[in-house]
This record gives sequence, C-alpha cells and structure tokens, in this order.
Amino acid sequence: MNKFWVVFKHEYLRHVKRKRFIFGLLSIPLFMAVIMGVSILAAVLSEDTRPVGYVDQSGLFKDAQPLPSKGSGFFAERVKILTFNDETEAGKALEDGKIQAYYIIQADYLATGNVRMIAKEAVDSEVHRDFSEFLLANLLKSENPTIRTRILEGPELTLRTFDSDQKFNSRNPFGFLIAIFSGVIFLLAVNTSGGYLLQAVVEEKENRTMEIVVTSLSTDQFMAGKIFGNLSVGLTQLLFWLVMAGVAALVAFRAFPDLSETGIGFSFFGLMTLTFLPAFIMIAALMTMVGATATEAREAQQIAGLFSLPIAIPFWFIAAIMENPNGPLAIGFSFFPFTAPMTLPLRSMLTNLPVWQIGLSVGLLFAAAAASIWLASRAFRLGMLRYGKKLTLAEILRPR
Amino acid sequence: MTSIQVNQISKRFGSQQAVDQVSFEVEPGEIFGLLGPNGAGKTTTIRIILDIFKPDSGEVVVLGGKMSEEKKNRIGYLPEERGLYQDITLETCLNYLARLKGLKPAEAAARVEQMMKRFDLYDHRKKKVKELSKGMQQKAQLIITLVHDPQLIIIDEPFSALDPVNTQMVKDLLREERDKGKTIVMCSHQMHQVEELCDRLVLINRGKVMLYGKLNDIRRQYSGQEVIVHPLNDLPAQIPGVNRIERENSAYILHLADQITPQTILKNLVDQGIALERFEIALPTLDEIFIQVVTARGEFS
Repeated sequence: MNKFWVVFKHEYLRHVKRKRFIFGLLSIPLFMAVIMGVSILAAVLSEDTRPVGYVDQSGLFKDAQPLPSKGSGFFAERVKILTFNDETEAGKALEDGKIQAYYIIQADYLATGNVRMIAKEAVDSEVHRDFSEFLLANLLKSENPTIRTRILEGPELTLRTFDSDQKFNSRNPFGFLIAIFSGVIFLLAVNTSGGYLLQAVVEEKENRTMEIVVTSLSTDQFMAGKIFGNLSVGLTQLLFWLVMAGVAALVAFRAFPDLSETGIGFSFFGLMTLTFLPAFIMIAALMTMVGATATEAREAQQIAGLFSLPIAIPFWFIAAIMENPNGPLAIGFSFFPFTAPMTLPLRSMLTNLPVWQIGLSVGLLFAAAAASIWLASRAFRLGMLRYGKKLTLAEILRPR
Repeated sequence: MTSIQVNQISKRFGSQQAVDQVSFEVEPGEIFGLLGPNGAGKTTTIRIILDIFKPDSGEVVVLGGKMSEEKKNRIGYLPEERGLYQDITLETCLNYLARLKGLKPAEAAARVEQMMKRFDLYDHRKKKVKELSKGMQQKAQLIITLVHDPQLIIIDEPFSALDPVNTQMVKDLLREERDKGKTIVMCSHQMHQVEELCDRLVLINRGKVMLYGKLNDIRRQYSGQEVIVHPLNDLPAQIPGVNRIERENSAYILHLADQITPQTILKNLVDQGIALERFEIALPTLDEIFIQVVTARGEFS
C-alpha cells in the first residue's frame, strides 16, 4: 500500500506543481469573471437612470405616492417618477434631457386605460413595468394592504408532481441552468483528468519505464496510484472551480435576490454524484486502455476524443430534451452510459424521474465503469511491454 | 541456497518458440553470464525470472522461493530497454524510482546523492533527464539498479553507450559488488566483457541452452586442436601429427591433426630433443567459442 502512495503523490504533484496546471486552473474562473464583469458593466453603462415624467389629465393621481423600493440588490433601483402640470412643461424637460420620457394619462384613463408616452428613444421595458405598477399602486391605495400586495404581485405558482415531493417554482428557472453549468464543469474536469491519465500511461510506454516499474511494485498498485493520482488532479480542479462558482453565487445572490431559491436540493447533488462518479471512473479507465494500446501520445489523443465526445451529445439535443424530458430520446440518453451523466441531472430539473429509471441508469453506469476497468487492466498487462506495436481490441478480448 | 534456479522453462510467442526448456542455476556471490546472439531469448528468460512473463512450462526459484512483492526490493534490474522519465529532473526521477524500491524518503535522498556523486552526475541533478547525454542516462539507470543495495543484480548489456572510462568504472563497481557478496547476472553479447568478469555462464541460442558451466571449463572443453610453442631455437618444418604451423612473433601455433592430443606432440618434440621455453594448450577466446557454437548449427542469423 505504501508504494501506492508513492505513485499517487508523484503523479499528483507532477501535474499540480506545473505552471500549465495553475494557469488552466485560474484561467476559467478568470475568464468567467471577466465576461460577467464586462456584461454587468455594459448593462450598467447602457442603462438610462434619468427619471420619467407624467402629466395627469385624469385627475386620479393628484397625490400619488412614489413606489416603495424593491429591496437590496444591484438592479433593485426603480426609475424615478416626476409629475408635470402640462405637456409643455414635460416637453421642455424632455428637450432639456432632464427626463428620458413622459407619459400622458388620458382623461378617460379609468374607463379605457389609455396612456400615451412621448420619448426620443425607445425606453427600457423595466420603465414601463415600474410606471404601470406605480399607476396600479396608486389606484389601489385605499384598498386593504394585504389585498393590494396580492393584486400587485400576482399568484406565486408552484408546480408539484403527483407522486413525489419535487416541485418547480414558476419564478425560478435557474435550477435548470445550474444543472447545465455543473455538466459543463464535469465535462471539463473529465477532459483534464482523462487527458493527464492518457498521457501518464502512454508516457510509461514512450519512456520505456515499464520494466523498471513492474520489477519494483505490482501493476495493480501502480495503476491504482496512477488512476487515483490523476483523478485527484481533475477533482482538485473541479473542487476549485466549484468553490469559485460558490463565491460567484454568493455575489450573484446579493445582486439578484430572486436566485436564492433555485429549487436545488440534496437529491439533485446526490443524483449528480451517483452519475458523475462512475462516469468519471469509466472515462478514466477507457483512457488508460487507449493509453496502453496506442503507441504514441498523439495517436492516443485522437482515439480519446471518441470517448469524451459522446458525453457532450445531450447538449446538442438540449432543446429536444427540454421540450420532452420524458420522450424516447431523453430516456434513451439516460440509459446510455456515455450520455447518462449529462442527461439524468438535467431531466431531474425538468421532470419527475421514476425511481426505476434512476436505478437502471446508475446501475448501467456502474456496470460500464467496472467493465472499463477490467478492459483497462487487461489492455495494460498485455500492452505494457509492446514497444512500437499496437494492441487490437480482439487481442484484449481474446481468452488466454 | 542458490540465488536463481531456472528449471526447464519454455515460452512461446505465437509461432515463435522464444525459450525452449532452459535450465541453469546462479550461485550467490558470483558474476554469472547470460549470453547469446540477438534474439536468442536472453531478455525473455530474464523477464520470466523477474515474473514479468509467466512461462508456458517449467518453474523459477528466486532467492529461495517464488517471486514476490517483498523480493522486488532485494533485486536490482537494468533492463535492455533503457527507460527514464524524460520530463522531470534527474534528482526527482532517481528519488521517485528509489522510493518505488522501498526506500524511505530520507534514505532515498541520501543514497541518490551519494550515487550521483560517485557517477559524476551530481552537478546535473537539476537538469531534466531528456537534457542528459546517452552515457549520463545510462549511468542514471545504473544508479537506479543499485541504489537500494540489492542482493541480486540483473543487468542487461551494461556497457552499451558507455565510453572506455565509464566502462572501466562500471566493471570495477560490479567486481566491488561481487566482493560484497552480491549475486550478479550479466546479460551480454560482448564476449570479451563477459570473459573478463564472469565466473560461470550459460549460452543460449534460438531459445536453447548451448553451453553451461564455468568459463574455464568451457574454454578447456573447446580447446585441444591447437598448441602454442615457444622453442629456444627454430622448429623443424615438419612435425608428425601437425597439419599446419603458424609463426606469431617468437611463438608457433601448431594446428593438430584429428585424434592427435597435445601430449603426443609434446612427447614427440621432447623425443626430437627440441629445447622448449613454453608449451601451452591454446584456449580459444569466448568470442571464438561463441561463433563456433552458434554457426556450427547453421543457426546464426
């Protein structure tokens, strides 16, 4: 067991201490932060914060009260609403650029709801919403405050399935986005680890170190050390990115309080672990197998692409899965080991997954992982001492 | 207790019989030569001894029993396929491989440092392995073979890529190890090196054992039809029982006819009253024996 740790530590530190790894680790969150920063900055800069005016011809809004603030957050600020005595005054303010637009509440507003707006440029829809709310709030000001709030906010719709405690909040589509986001991070981590693992095995062949290694420790210890060492590199990356994402989420929750209830619970993360873990092992083992059968790194990398590609396939069909999360395509993807890790958590955000489907899908994944490890160790034992000679699948499968 | 006991091992790869009923024993504290032309089955035999391959039949006893994980720490192996991790520094590489041989971190570091100094590699320890010359890499490989002070050392072609100075150093080192009681198996096709170092040897050709035993016994076995004579004066032009006489400086090489023993010739010369300074049976060099054995069967390719 002792030598397992020697191999593990060597493999892990070799990658983690490299500049390339540290750059890779930092570049993704940095890239995300820059993109987010730029888009927030663009939104803030392009936003017109000038007030809007109104001319009340209906006489209904004489002592109108401004709307209460929406609470904390970057975009919680409401547009300021000013009153003008007549159109000339409002028109002058618009000319002078003091306001971005003004509304004229028609005399027959109560009967028809007619309001006209005059502006130089198109006005953000947020402004219209705020103004409508302002009108509603003031019309209802003498109403019972509870009823008033209910009318203003509308119902809060929660969808519940018949036979489970899963629920979907109509106001929070973010759970779905988190499922996609986790999937992308998983994909990146699998690619990193898989790539390192592949390289680590091919390297033994290219450097011809196999004989020294196998006369120093058992191949099982050696392979275990290599696989876990390189998986840990991927996990380190995954963990770091998740922590970064967590920090980003905290910031985002401050900025968008609506996000805080995403409807993601323990069961989602449980499902994610159950699908990601065997998939991770399966890919790692397959990469090892490819590494052991190929003769050089370049060739191995080309074949390895074939394994990581199918994982991303569900993303291409995301529209179809969203539209019909219980359709044959979505169910088919759930049972195919390569596509299951992306499909299952996604579907759990869209529909209520029957227990048998989860069981079958996870069971198939674990079986595929076990089969891949078996293939990999066989390929490794057969292929390790073949220099410059390819190992065919038939040879791996041939009984000895 | 013998260090290695090989009993009737055979190994076939596809249609090729790589090793065919090979048997030999290696005694503790000797330098044993495992010889043969390229492709004779030497490396396969070594791999079977080290449990890298399983034999189709026969068995191997190493250090008193079957090969085990624990025994790997007591064996040093220099494979023919020289390999080192190219992309890391020499020091890291040596330390890692020393630790895989069961040395504790501090122990490994101390031994590696000591060996690097002995092999003149200490100043290069921070260089990547791929930046080192072939000879330096070969020396690094020898460090890995010896760093854990193994009881049994198996080396495949130890002198390839070494210059004469380093070749001499390695020879001294091997003798030193033997004098410390280590068992050394040296695999080679460079006969003069084997001649110089080995006590006993086995010669394999086409997977079969051709010769096996003490170096001197084997040479004696292949001698007999040539005699070297240093007379005080000249030799007569004709000597009965001698086919041909060659002159080499002050010596004469007599090629004897079939069925004639050196004793007959000596008696003959003495009877003729020829004064002799020296009379010796010409022992063939290992090179000559090697070529004779391998070509005699028309199997040298």
